[in-house]
Amino acid sequence: MKKVFVFDDNADILELCTIILEDAGYEIKTSSTSNNIIDQVLAYIPDIIFMDNWLPDVGGIEATRALKKHETLKAIPVIYFSANNDVKSLANEAGADGYLSKPFDIQELEDIIAKHIN
Amino acid sequence: MVGCEALVIGGSAGSLEVLLKVLPILDNSLTFPIIIVIHRKHGSDSLLPDLLSSRTKLKVKEVDEKEPINGGTIYVAPSDYHLLIEQDRTFSLDYSEKVNYSRPAIDVTFQTAAEVYKTKLACLLLSGSNADGVLGLKSVKTWGGLALIQDPDSAQVSYMPAQAKLHVNIDEILSIESIGEFINSLK
Repeated sequence: MKKVFVFDDNADILELCTIILEDAGYEIKTSSTSNNIIDQVLAYIPDIIFMDNWLPDVGGIEATRALKKHETLKAIPVIYFSANNDVKSLANEAGADGYLSKPFDIQELEDIIAKHIN
Repeated sequence: MVGCEALVIGGSAGSLEVLLKVLPILDNSLTFPIIIVIHRKHGSDSLLPDLLSSRTKLKVKEVDEKEPINGGTIYVAPSDYHLLIEQDRTFSLDYSEKVNYSRPAIDVTFQTAAEVYKTKLACLLLSGSNADGVLGLKSVKTWGGLALIQDPDSAQVSYMPAQAKLHVNIDEILSIESIGEFINSLK
């Protein structure tokens, strides 16, 4: 089963993504902090990561940069998501592999996962 | 209730899992609108109506400003706006102060619906962690409608329905398993 790790401080997003992705046959883990990002991801080794921009502690950009500098974790695709109009620029700045504008729907969520891990 | 003209469902923490269990049980032929107001943060728009839609054949949509209220449709309150029912049976969205620390506030929708649908209204309060919805249910009773709650013992967070049970003369206390069939009986 493919594994998805979602980072977001919005509990509603985490709850909805968990139900939707479990329905779609994925295993999912969620977190609401970017603190100790490397340890969090090393403990799960997901197939894809969703990273919110406004994440407590170091924030989405720094967290993504740290992942992309890590020898083992840099190959895991990171999808940046935000309600910010500049989500594409933020994703580029962070070094993410893709982006998703909030609000997004179920199809967009499933499509971007399929595009990056299948 | 005979001739139900609207059902409004309010909930907060722990209410989504109830809705996901109830929706598949609903008759596709329901003739009244179901209006859902659950507390949620901005940013989850689209996902919630999309997810609810995956559990029912009934049409599910997020409410648009000034939209007429049609039967057989499940309406979901958008995040960050109060949802009001107008006398001409349209919705209006309002960005005024939070009520009970919440926007949308369940009280606002219950109270405005009570004044419009009167004895032909049923309102159901689900799991949640504050007392939003309690005053609204009182209004529903004042106008002659049906006040319903999820059994607090079956609620993930019992405070909201428990407060309603304490302060309002509730018509029916429903287990999660019985909510769907009860709604189907409101014809």
